[in-house]
Amino acid sequence: MTYTDLMVQQTINGLSLGAMYSLLALGFTLVYGILELINFSHFNVFMIGSFVAMWTLQLFGLSGQDVILTGLPLAGVLLVAFVVTMGFCGGLGVVIERVTLRPLRGLSGPAAMITSIGVSYILFNLVLLTVGADSKNFPNPLPTIRYNIGGAVLDVRVILIWIVAFLLMLGLYFFVQRSRMGKAMRATAQDAEAARMMGVEVDKVIMMAFFLGSALAGAGGLIFGLYYNFTSFIIGFTAGLRAFTAAVLGGIGNVPGAMVGGVLIGLIEAMGGQFIATEWTDVIIFSILVLVLVFKPSGLFGRVAPTKS
Amino acid sequence: MANGATTTTTTAAVATPSLLMRPVAWIPEARRRQLGIALLIIAAVIFPFYIDSNDADVDSMANAAAYATLALGLNIVVGFAGLLDLGYAAFFAIGAYTYGVLTAYQLQPPWNSFWEVFHTLGLAAPVPADIGDGMVVHFTLSFWLALPLAGGLAAFFGILFGFPTLRLRGDYLAIVTLGFGEIVPIVVRNWSDLTNGAAGLNGVAAPQLFGWSFGVNSVPYYYVAIIMVAFGIFFSIRLRDSRIGRAWMAIRDDEIAAGAMGVDRTKFKLLAFAIGAAFGGMTGVFYVAKLQTATPEMFGFPVSVMILVMVVFGGIGSVWGVVLGAFILQLLQSWWLQDLTQWTQAFGKLVGSNVLAHADFVQSIELIFGLILVFMMLFRRQGLIPAVRAQKALSFDQQHAEVRRGGFSDLKLQGLGGDVRTGAAALEIKGVTVRFGGLTALNKVDITVPTGSVVAVIGPNGSGKSTLFNAITGLVEAEEGSIRFHGEELIGLAPHEILQKGVARTFQNLRLFINMSVLDNALVSQHSRLKTGVFRAIFRPPSTRAEEKGAREWAMEVFAIFGNRLVPRVEQLVTGLSYANRRRIEIARALASRPRILLLDEPTAGMNPAETLELAEQIKSLNDLGLTVLLIEHKLDVVTRLADTVYVLDHGDVIAAGKPDEVRKDEEVLRAYLGRNAQAAAAGVT
Repeated sequence: MTYTDLMVQQTINGLSLGAMYSLLALGFTLVYGILELINFSHFNVFMIGSFVAMWTLQLFGLSGQDVILTGLPLAGVLLVAFVVTMGFCGGLGVVIERVTLRPLRGLSGPAAMITSIGVSYILFNLVLLTVGADSKNFPNPLPTIRYNIGGAVLDVRVILIWIVAFLLMLGLYFFVQRSRMGKAMRATAQDAEAARMMGVEVDKVIMMAFFLGSALAGAGGLIFGLYYNFTSFIIGFTAGLRAFTAAVLGGIGNVPGAMVGGVLIGLIEAMGGQFIATEWTDVIIFSILVLVLVFKPSGLFGRVAPTKS
Repeated sequence: MANGATTTTTTAAVATPSLLMRPVAWIPEARRRQLGIALLIIAAVIFPFYIDSNDADVDSMANAAAYATLALGLNIVVGFAGLLDLGYAAFFAIGAYTYGVLTAYQLQPPWNSFWEVFHTLGLAAPVPADIGDGMVVHFTLSFWLALPLAGGLAAFFGILFGFPTLRLRGDYLAIVTLGFGEIVPIVVRNWSDLTNGAAGLNGVAAPQLFGWSFGVNSVPYYYVAIIMVAFGIFFSIRLRDSRIGRAWMAIRDDEIAAGAMGVDRTKFKLLAFAIGAAFGGMTGVFYVAKLQTATPEMFGFPVSVMILVMVVFGGIGSVWGVVLGAFILQLLQSWWLQDLTQWTQAFGKLVGSNVLAHADFVQSIELIFGLILVFMMLFRRQGLIPAVRAQKALSFDQQHAEVRRGGFSDLKLQGLGGDVRTGAAALEIKGVTVRFGGLTALNKVDITVPTGSVVAVIGPNGSGKSTLFNAITGLVEAEEGSIRFHGEELIGLAPHEILQKGVARTFQNLRLFINMSVLDNALVSQHSRLKTGVFRAIFRPPSTRAEEKGAREWAMEVFAIFGNRLVPRVEQLVTGLSYANRRRIEIARALASRPRILLLDEPTAGMNPAETLELAEQIKSLNDLGLTVLLIEHKLDVVTRLADTVYVLDHGDVIAAGKPDEVRKDEEVLRAYLGRNAQAAAAGVT
């Protein structure tokens, strides 16, 4: 492959990864915007979403890449998978918030963050202990249709991922900007006390933020499985780091920022892996995280870092 | 005693012993602690012998002691200074790999005359090369030398990481430290030439004592670990109860107030980080010497979390608590989960249950960590052994306080104020302008506070009064103008430097150190007047003890200004005191720093009329002693009674200045407070 081909290929890869990281980062940033809480458990909800998606698809009799569907059956199966996964993960997020985080609301200090680390550990280890440490083959019913752009390859599932991610992000954006609940969420993010005084039910807003964020994480998990054809207990940690950096890079708490950040990190990962070395990708991503926090904590688009200490 | 009598002696209320303490209640309290520690030491020393010197068990205890030292180190960072560090294992790694690389066969530069010096020092030796001819260097760093060396190197990295990042708040600092905590093992894994990558170092030398090598016998390692953890406990307790510990806890409770009371926050945060890192580095040397190998997996995020769980479980900020937490969790892993697994499997075979017969609880240790974190945060945030001691109840007489009018004339309060009204300006504010974005909070403000006088600043809400105080004390930066205190320029100085010059303040919304006692609050503000550093804090020479004693006596003198309100309560946490008492502590704290000028921001807010006048007269007495006072007040009777000069602020401008009576009748002032119609009506009436 020529140099241009490599660039194009890695751009395609980067955008696919970026789509996934954007969805993850969005969910994460939604919660942070309102609660100023770094929710470590978010990324293991993503991992669980991947498993739920796998089991749902397996229920349809799909296994590995043995069964290929097209047209309406394909659309139907995928739709069901998305709805089930997103619904389950959304519910899981709400349960986590209600049981472990609401009692701590209003406490200053690291109590809530430490609790979210604990929840993250619980989810991670429950999955590890029940399904084991090996990678699972993810059912992929998509036909392998490939398009060639010069020497680079564009797979149809990549297009599907782009479309789905874009639609979800668009949906979220309009929800946050146009709907009544979205307005309530934005108000609560700015000043919860004042929102309460204006009649906003802050408890419900927070629940909705967790539901939406976790549902997006679940969608991300399904996309991960379709893209990589596998899933395992560890994907939350690895993808989580990147999505987290994406959220911070875009400006933590900022919705469009998370989308842009996700795409950027995806591209960096793809390019970095190609032109430097995959072992160093983690260091690069972590370094970006550290540098952004040290030199520009508000990220690319964020407001000045919030007041909670 | 009957009503009215006030006393400055404290009668300790008798507390009935709790159920747990009844068996030992006959031992006097002072002895209990020493007896307990003595028993602990004896148990620790004879442990390897009465456990049948089962090597694996002794090894587990040695590991537990090592992790306890790590937990102590993290406790200094998280518990004392309040800095959440999620990447603590990085320092563990740095110490470990320093010793490992310098004793294993990893680095082998060719031998030449350059290395002779090191050979004579015992740090390197020539050995035949594996490949080719000639000799190569084999480093032979002594374990005992490596301990302080690695500790120092880890501390250096702590300062290096900390310097750009410690100004970040809470969550962000946690994330950055997590980042560093992950970067270090990854670099270690990828830098194979130095560290042998994922395969790990091998051939790490065991410690040697007078020629005898520790080898693989657990017992000598156990004793080294016990000594390490004992030193760790000793250092932690000494630091906690010293000027250093108080500074850390002040930073933890309220950073801004800590700075305003004279604590150099950057320096002390870095100090906490460095000391915590040193603990980690030294433990790393020990751990790797015992294991005789080191791999990157031993130092990842899960290890950082495990140490955090130990600290949270045991009690954040509690020295004995984190040691207990570390021992329990480590022994859980090494002993109890294995036992539980064996019993469950045996039971399962007995009962015929396949699930139980194949149960393995050892794998679930991380799940248990997660559950512990969640449970502790939800139900027992203070941990197993809380850092804060329970407080005794006060007697009725101690609680009863009456308003005392007439100020205080019996107290001398040497070293406070002492300035005479010379006419010279103590504080000279010229042309000060402060802007927040598009809002001009202060607009070319000129205020002069003559030495030894009382100047009041009044004005409607939002007029910029508190911003003025913030500008004087360095909390916000004035864009234009100058603020001179006895001739020295204050603009550009850090808050703690301004306090050192003698400018002390109170906060309108109270910024007490809520998790510290009344006495400790007044001791923190003396921070810049005391001189004990880390070394003296740990070893407590007579000079330090005298210094502490003097500081406590001075604090009690200051508390005596307020009669018996604060004196009986000096050991109590400030959260338990009434609002008015907390306002008094805020003032006492500022006074304890021996200021030359006192900035009071609405000191009588929330007090009833009698208490208000009492406080006003106490301020007058302070002024008579020579303390210059700059006062923000809303209650005009206080202003009239106290102030020599009054300045009126409105929307950032000084609209009137002069004697209290003049200002009260000033038309501009009436308009600002009451509005045009009222002003016109007043003009019509008078």
